[in-house]
Amino acid sequence: MTQVQLTKEEEKIFNGEMGEAPKIAIRLLNSLGELGGADRLIPIKSAHISGVSYKNVGEGGIQFLRKISHKVSVPTSLNPLGFDIENGGPVDIDANFHSKQMEIVKIYQEMGVMDSFTCTPYYYYNEPSFGDHLSWAESSAIIYVNSLIGARTNRESGPSAMASAIIGKTPNHGLHTDEGRKATVIVKVEEPLDYTKFAALGLFLGPKLNKKIPLVKGQRNAKSIELKALSAALSATSSIPMFHVEGVTKETRLVSDSPETMEVTKEDISDTISKNSTQQEPELIAIGCPHLSSEELTYIAGLVKGKKKIGPDLFLFTSREVKANSTEAVKIIENFGGKVFADTCMVVSPLSNTYGSTGTNSGKASFYLPLKGYGNQKVAFMGILDLLKWVIA
Amino acid sequence: MGDSLIKGRGLSPGNATSSVVVCDQYISPLGEISRDGLITSGPCENVSITGKILAFKGGRGSTVGSYTFLELKSKNIAPSGLINETAEQMVVTGAIISEIPMVDMIPLDIFLNGDRISINGSTGEVMIDGVKEKRVATVYLIHRGRILLLKRSENATSYPGQYGGISGYIEEGETPEQTARREMIEECDVHDAEMKRMGSEIYVRSGGMLYVITPMLMESKTDRVKLNEENSGYSWVTPDELYRHETVSKFKETFGVLTAK
Repeated sequence: MTQVQLTKEEEKIFNGEMGEAPKIAIRLLNSLGELGGADRLIPIKSAHISGVSYKNVGEGGIQFLRKISHKVSVPTSLNPLGFDIENGGPVDIDANFHSKQMEIVKIYQEMGVMDSFTCTPYYYYNEPSFGDHLSWAESSAIIYVNSLIGARTNRESGPSAMASAIIGKTPNHGLHTDEGRKATVIVKVEEPLDYTKFAALGLFLGPKLNKKIPLVKGQRNAKSIELKALSAALSATSSIPMFHVEGVTKETRLVSDSPETMEVTKEDISDTISKNSTQQEPELIAIGCPHLSSEELTYIAGLVKGKKKIGPDLFLFTSREVKANSTEAVKIIENFGGKVFADTCMVVSPLSNTYGSTGTNSGKASFYLPLKGYGNQKVAFMGILDLLKWVIA
Repeated sequence: MGDSLIKGRGLSPGNATSSVVVCDQYISPLGEISRDGLITSGPCENVSITGKILAFKGGRGSTVGSYTFLELKSKNIAPSGLINETAEQMVVTGAIISEIPMVDMIPLDIFLNGDRISINGSTGEVMIDGVKEKRVATVYLIHRGRILLLKRSENATSYPGQYGGISGYIEEGETPEQTARREMIEECDVHDAEMKRMGSEIYVRSGGMLYVITPMLMESKTDRVKLNEENSGYSWVTPDELYRHETVSKFKETFGVLTAK
């Protein structure tokens, strides 16, 4: 394996002269740099840390967080947790889960991490620019900022993003280089896709491409929100860090010399949707994985405005900042009888405490929610208009 | 020869010895490995990994997956080692912070489920207990765009009646090329061929044997071939025709690799 060239300063950290937490952090970065073939560590503009919900972090994770707890040296945002801190919900939480969760939050707060609690930090808290080097975790956010913004981050894990946040650097390899961002497969999709169909495209392509970066052709009208759905579904079912969309994303010039090609048909998309869905009436309609933007909240508010609510519960998930900046839409949705939660989502909250079946338009959620011992849900995966038919009289 | 020794890449230090669970799938440690140590989807659904060495293609999904290994470790139900074909950093991070030895660059098909194996997470070495290793040289002999296929005798100890290249065990003190030239003379009476490409080692597992094969692409000046008793027939075929023959394990893929640009 290659050697990562550490500076004198970094050597000191490596040898423990700056304390235990920075030593653990830089040693992890060094090992991952060797794995990826990095020549050196490079400074980052920001970090984003996943691994906040007690459901995901667990007891072992808390012990690790205590050990590595140290002030961060760059702006660092944080993923969602198991419930809405200020308003409670979406489901009942036992006292143990609550106290463990707040312990995790406290450790991060002491590190100087932002109270963002969102998987879409790029909307408010932590907005990268084209070409910025980052160290981000949260698979859906990594692929989004690489692809749509043109910022540069590898697929960091929760612990490695935290290590980078402490050191302020990341190993220089992979997505930080032009070579690592090249499309190696060209995917032609003729059918015009909407949000849910982009999510289905992600679920379909993920297991087929595994780690190859695709260049998607035939989707010149794709909107950012739709590509957010693709980001989340693709990265849940693969380790793909980035995609290109012809006519839409900024680095479509980056294509390898002899890319493979494949075609995705209308049937591939519709089969994926039906394979991931039970058609029975769900107990809960959950929208906002990834977290909703202001634009999406406003769109949903328009659909339910003045209508009478029936049937299953309707939960929407977003970040605190988006919620605070969408007061009108939130009021309309709450008047209708829906609920808007911040800080959390249907995947990282212990939904199965209360619900057995969930309807969602999220490809990512429809991957995680059915898994036994994790989400334990029956899932109805369909578009937002079909979902709302369950709740509008 | 004793137990088989395969060299991969060491990713997380430490040694482990246990039986191997082979899962021919990518796994999201978040969700696809439960908090009681079971795989929850794919070909290995409901299989326990506690105390085993878990061999799978690689990680996928959530970047929080690293914590799954820490959680299993803190409950004393972690796998004792990890093997990937090609690792990505979320799983590697999980292995490092949970102090679980890990190795990658190991093909999964060298294992049978339940093999007792040892891994060294520093050197990348993997050992399979009780499986004998045999080093083999195989020549893909070409002449004017055609490749020589030998039909193995019905009495052959492995792959009887199937088509293959010129093949033989590498004997003590021989290089793979020396074996290749000796076998060409013995099996085909071919004395003069030019080495075009030496491939990297491939592994073929067959019961209690692990064949470690060095493939070579060589070009003969003549199509004259005289067989000994090891083979019952031969033909010079085009690459297209090759794909229609029933060949020994991994023969076609390896030919593809050897002739790739």
